Amino acid sequence: MTEMTETNEVHGTELTDVPRRWDIPADAFLQSVFEAPECSPWLRKTLSGPISWQVRNEATVRRALTSHRTALPWVAALLALGATVTLEGVEMPAPLADLIQRSVTGRIVTLHVPTAGVRYGAAQVGRTPADDPIVAAYAGVTLNDKPPKTVQSARVALIGVWPRPVGLAQAATKLIGRPLDEECIQTVAQAVAQEVTPVGDFRGSEAYRREMAAVLTRRALEQCLYQE
Amino acid sequence: MNHRSENETITLTINGTEKTLTVRRAATLLDALRDAGYTSVKYGCGTGDCGICTVLLDGEPIRSCMLPAIQAAGHTVTTQEGLSAPGSGQLHPIQRAFIESGGFQCGYCTPAHILVTKALLDRNPNPTEEEIREAMSGVLCRCTGYVKIVQAVKRAAAYLRGEPAEPFRPVMARLSPDESPAPIVEHYYNQIKEQEIAHPPLVISPPDMEPLAIVGQPKLKVDAVKLATGRPAFTDDIKLEGMLYGALLTSPHAHANIKRIDASKARALPGVHAVLTYEDIPRVKYASGGQSYPQPLPYDQVSLDNKVRHEGDRVAVVAAETPEIAQRALRLIEVEYEVLPHVLDPEAAMQDGAPVIHDEPDTEGIYDPQHNIVHHIEAEGGDREAEWARADYVFEGEYRTAQQQHAHMEPHVCITYWDEDDRLVVRTSTQVPFHVRRIIAPLIGLPVKRIRVIKPRIGGGFGNKQEVLLEDLCAHLTIATGRPVRMMYDRRQEFTSSRSRHPQIMRYKVGVTKDMEVVATELYLIGDTGAYGTHGLTVQMVGGQKGLTLYNAPYSKFVCDVVYTNKPTPGAFRGYGSMQCHFGIETLMSEIADQMGWDVVEFKRKNWIRQGEELLMAKALGEGREGFKQIIRSNGLAQCVDTGLAAMDWYRKRGNETWRKGAGKSKRRGIGMAVMLHGSGIAGLDMASATLKMNDDGSFNLLIGATDLGTGSDTILAQMAAEVLGVPLEDIIVYSSDTDFTPFDKGAYASSTTYISGGAVRKAALQIADQIKAHAATMLGLETTEGMTLRDRQVVSADGTTLTFEQIALSSLHQYDQHQIIATASHLSYECPPPFGAQFVEATVDVETGQVTVERILMVLDCGRIVNPLTASGQVEGALQQVLGFAHCEEMVYDEQGHMLNPRLGPYHIYKANEMPKLEVMFVQTEEPSGPFGAKSISELPMDGIAPALADAIHDATGVWVRQVPFTPERVWRALKDAGF
Repeated sequence: MTEMTETNEVHGTELTDVPRRWDIPADAFLQSVFEAPECSPWLRKTLSGPISWQVRNEATVRRALTSHRTALPWVAALLALGATVTLEGVEMPAPLADLIQRSVTGRIVTLHVPTAGVRYGAAQVGRTPADDPIVAAYAGVTLNDKPPKTVQSARVALIGVWPRPVGLAQAATKLIGRPLDEECIQTVAQAVAQEVTPVGDFRGSEAYRREMAAVLTRRALEQCLYQE
Repeated sequence: MNHRSENETITLTINGTEKTLTVRRAATLLDALRDAGYTSVKYGCGTGDCGICTVLLDGEPIRSCMLPAIQAAGHTVTTQEGLSAPGSGQLHPIQRAFIESGGFQCGYCTPAHILVTKALLDRNPNPTEEEIREAMSGVLCRCTGYVKIVQAVKRAAAYLRGEPAEPFRPVMARLSPDESPAPIVEHYYNQIKEQEIAHPPLVISPPDMEPLAIVGQPKLKVDAVKLATGRPAFTDDIKLEGMLYGALLTSPHAHANIKRIDASKARALPGVHAVLTYEDIPRVKYASGGQSYPQPLPYDQVSLDNKVRHEGDRVAVVAAETPEIAQRALRLIEVEYEVLPHVLDPEAAMQDGAPVIHDEPDTEGIYDPQHNIVHHIEAEGGDREAEWARADYVFEGEYRTAQQQHAHMEPHVCITYWDEDDRLVVRTSTQVPFHVRRIIAPLIGLPVKRIRVIKPRIGGGFGNKQEVLLEDLCAHLTIATGRPVRMMYDRRQEFTSSRSRHPQIMRYKVGVTKDMEVVATELYLIGDTGAYGTHGLTVQMVGGQKGLTLYNAPYSKFVCDVVYTNKPTPGAFRGYGSMQCHFGIETLMSEIADQMGWDVVEFKRKNWIRQGEELLMAKALGEGREGFKQIIRSNGLAQCVDTGLAAMDWYRKRGNETWRKGAGKSKRRGIGMAVMLHGSGIAGLDMASATLKMNDDGSFNLLIGATDLGTGSDTILAQMAAEVLGVPLEDIIVYSSDTDFTPFDKGAYASSTTYISGGAVRKAALQIADQIKAHAATMLGLETTEGMTLRDRQVVSADGTTLTFEQIALSSLHQYDQHQIIATASHLSYECPPPFGAQFVEATVDVETGQVTVERILMVLDCGRIVNPLTASGQVEGALQQVLGFAHCEEMVYDEQGHMLNPRLGPYHIYKANEMPKLEVMFVQTEEPSGPFGAKSISELPMDGIAPALADAIHDATGVWVRQVPFTPERVWRALKDAGF
């Protein structure tokens, strides 16, 4: 059921200067996020496809972050970007990943999305183009400004390869401090395949999902590699 | 429990008017709106998967089934009723655009689509096609393929911007003898490039085909206004005084005996008026398939049984004052099951020692109950030894297809009540009202004469409503309570308790000569009919007949086992066995060409059936009974293929490595094709009738038993009558169908309506024309009607004297030789002329993931003369969406216990607006001598070729054959891995 006890008014979103991030009130509806000028095309894409206009009108950011299946690709993309959340009564934002893993709990007040400096890539497999992905990988990588441009941070969030709906692969941290190149990416992709713990179902067996974790992680990271 | 405490009062603004509604606390906004009479808001799934229930909340589209009604308090709601008031005669520009574009067929999802269009255009007056498709993706449609919906939105946008929009017009072309269609195709693409709103089909005519006045014109649907404005036209759109709500308890087990059933607690629940189990109603054997008398054996069902044979099988029914109480009552029925071993695999079901699914002693006509073989069919034609001796090569292949669900947007729904004469009225969403009346009569213990079946508008059926599924149970509840009762399947029950497509295993064997001649074909078919026989016999017979007729080998043999399993029962589904067998034969033919290094088109061309040939298997294999000799009298297949080759630029792409690898690093492009034939009704069996009568003003009532389930058949039948009578379409008032008021028609199935029902309408119209002329002669004092013609609502005599139809009607009804100008005609055909077609697919295969993306589909069809290019192209586009699902993604899946794993539209997944490939439709007209105005059937033919064409495209892309549909990512990935990718 939609949380219509909250105001139906579309809340404004604001872009703060430091740090470069987009702060989104948790009671904003996904449609307002989708339409916001701050929403990059690739993040907007995670709110379309299997996610309809109706769903975006019904679900708030808070609902999407706590009931992950509402907008799973979007949540995965946020994890890859290193998004954080401010919880009610807590001053310091917490990593969204901690909230997803339930290592922190609380009522979300604001979602903070990094808006610059992150290289982003996404790859997925589904039965059809707008089907819920069977497996999907979302990568977010930041590089040091000065040469050699080694990886400063790296996150790979995957859908469809864990007992839970979405999760970050630890193997992505292997990239940190190393140059982002194809060899490195291949190593990480294979490590991700070893790390994941998929549960097979009628859309994809465990073996298939594991192999796709490697393929799609590689593709997502390759997009980061070739992104300017 | 105090019922009052369950209710709450809310105030909200609906369509600009403040309303106070009393709603049940658990009610959704959908429930509240429908209870308040806003019946344009439709139920589709109740789980948020389909979006059919969309309304605008404060101007934004939301799913009303997902919103508690009490949370809508204080908000503004817009429904379809708010766009144009009934009786105002005014259409909203969006409604007008949907009508003019043919933006709907059954119309059940149309209110939702129109509201989303409004919301979209309110914020973006000139959306791109991509933006339109994205906006529309939250509302599923199973009829249109979304092509004309997108066109309707573009048209609406133009109207709202104050711009004119060209009416829908097909691109007409005439093919000269011996001319290549390539220039026509090139001209067509140049022409439509400039048309932003409509992407009309190409209609190619033979040189000698004379255009007609009404037939052949893209007339708007005769039921368009009520559907576009969301009027209460469907079964569930009425509410009768004292109506109770029925609910069905279904089996949680795949196979079990009911050891004990105790409904006492349910019966004691306040608000419950009846609970029926097998102990409460007589055990009358029947078959639920809506087919002509006598239906094929076995009659292996009873209304309620003491054994269940699949998850979702019937256990008990309840009638109560509210749907919630009915559901509560179901939970109070205590059932003790003796769970039995079950079998889901048809090959395992035939083995010694397999669980026996029909062990009851009172079912007759099962071929081998101990091995669950309900039918064993054998048929052959030709000289076996001689033809196999001619074969230089023998090829064999096994192909498998999945169980697909119809997923029509309107669920099965039925309302039964006693009328003032104590006759039982059954208002039901059915394709076969006359069969329903005949089949339920013995089940409920009433004679046929005390039953009236009314078919309102139908929200899609595709064969699933060619069954008696709820009508008997609903009637039993009305008989038990004396009250009107309404029953409706929920979406889960549509999957587990209604019908689906038969999964099949096909083993083909084909003998060919060095000269590319197919000389012998054999097919062994295993048809999985699930728990009950229903359409099991006839679906497989059609499959065998069509699958062996396309290439019409001098020797053909068909062997088939139809097998019970403990799966939900398959039944009739558009394509009806033919599409499965086309997948097998067409893929094997392409495989043969590939192995032999032959051009696949030329190999098929050398062997496909030609005009003047006899369909060798038609007589050997009828459909449920003996067949009749059939000769092909019209065949445009060669022109269809040549047109498609030109349109696809086939020879530039096929096998072209540069083109193949142009899609990206791990992607491979492929192009594939298949040819196909279907039928037009069931020869010597399907009968339809029509009545035409003249009114005072010279208009006509056309009363037909034919059931328009969204196909547009009411429209094309009216066009046929108007053509004969020389009147505009609006002078034909169509009423279909009601067993009390319309003449018999077997119903809408077997691709029969255009051909069979059309034949009846044409005959009735010709009789009326004769009567009009005779009366005109009397009025004019002429001794003969010779030289008289009917045109422009008048009779024109040989000397040019005219009488208007109004003058003739007033005279015949009130003045001279008073009588009603009326005629009823029936039509049956011993011919079943096949429509032909060619389908082409371009697809991309991701060789690392196995994901197949279908990029473009072209279908070129010979359906005889096209009666209405607007509705005909809509039919084809909708079929392509359904068959794309069959080939690519749709599959009912079970766990080991026989529980369906994906009984929701979301996980099951049907194609949405924002993921459809480019769909193109072209018609190559022929004149079928036995068809009304030269017409043949349309609706099922498009189902036949996509699966093999896609298999061919995947092979063209990768060199790998995938022999099982749907082509899901893992299935394709495994095939690629096996091939060394």
